[in-house]
Amino acid sequence: MSRRQLAEAVGVNPQTIGYLERGDYKPSLELALKIARHFGVAVEMVFSLDRFAIMTFGRTGEGE
Amino acid sequence: MKRSHQGMLSRLNDTLRWMDNTVRWTGFPARVADDMSDDPLVDRNHRPLRWFPIFYIAVSCVLLVLPLIWLLKLDHVRPGAIVASMTAMVICLMTGAVSIHTSGPLGKPSREDDEREATLRKDSFLFCLGLLAALNCLGQPSLLILSHWQGWSIAQSAMVVFCTLMLNAVLLGTLPTLYASWNFPRLPRE
Repeated sequence: MSRRQLAEAVGVNPQTIGYLERGDYKPSLELALKIARHFGVAVEMVFSLDRFAIMTFGRTGEGE
Repeated sequence: MKRSHQGMLSRLNDTLRWMDNTVRWTGFPARVADDMSDDPLVDRNHRPLRWFPIFYIAVSCVLLVLPLIWLLKLDHVRPGAIVASMTAMVICLMTGAVSIHTSGPLGKPSREDDEREATLRKDSFLFCLGLLAALNCLGQPSLLILSHWQGWSIAQSAMVVFCTLMLNAVLLGTLPTLYASWNFPRLPRE
């Protein structure tokens, strides 16, 4: 899924999804819930107060 | 013949690449690359402007400082010339400030903002108005003391008031753009 598709699904600009991915922006509760609902998972699966564990080789585990 | 033609093309490419590298610091090659890409993260009409507002504020500050350090003698200058030069200053500064604001990240209508942009817009204007209020609170008594100390003429006082007004207008137009441009880093391409 591209940033544009997710942005259109949750009603924000693609730049905002980009900043969310980088951890440069903390979303509102409403946006976090919308993103979680879009993926069909609990909000804790997508956002966390702590850093996520490293899931893929070669990438650092960035929270939020 | 064909080999010499290819050599010429290669030299031309090298020259063009060298010319591109010499102006890379200006940001224009990146701007051209943005214009040619179809990346959804690139908003071609409203980009971060990190250096133009600083340059513009610096020019306005210099315009204010000039009548402070250089006691103006406007007695022999025709009033028409003074009015014409002040009008030109107003047009140049206001056109620049408005174009910086409209082409910066806060230039689009606020009704199109999502939650991040709305927060950014609010923070940018709060920063701008707070800084303007602080500068005016400090600047007005300072100018009053300076005018008594240096014994300004009416013409010089009017010029300082005019330049202060221009600096205020430029700060109001460019500071929110400056804050918003530095607050969010440029995103890497998808």
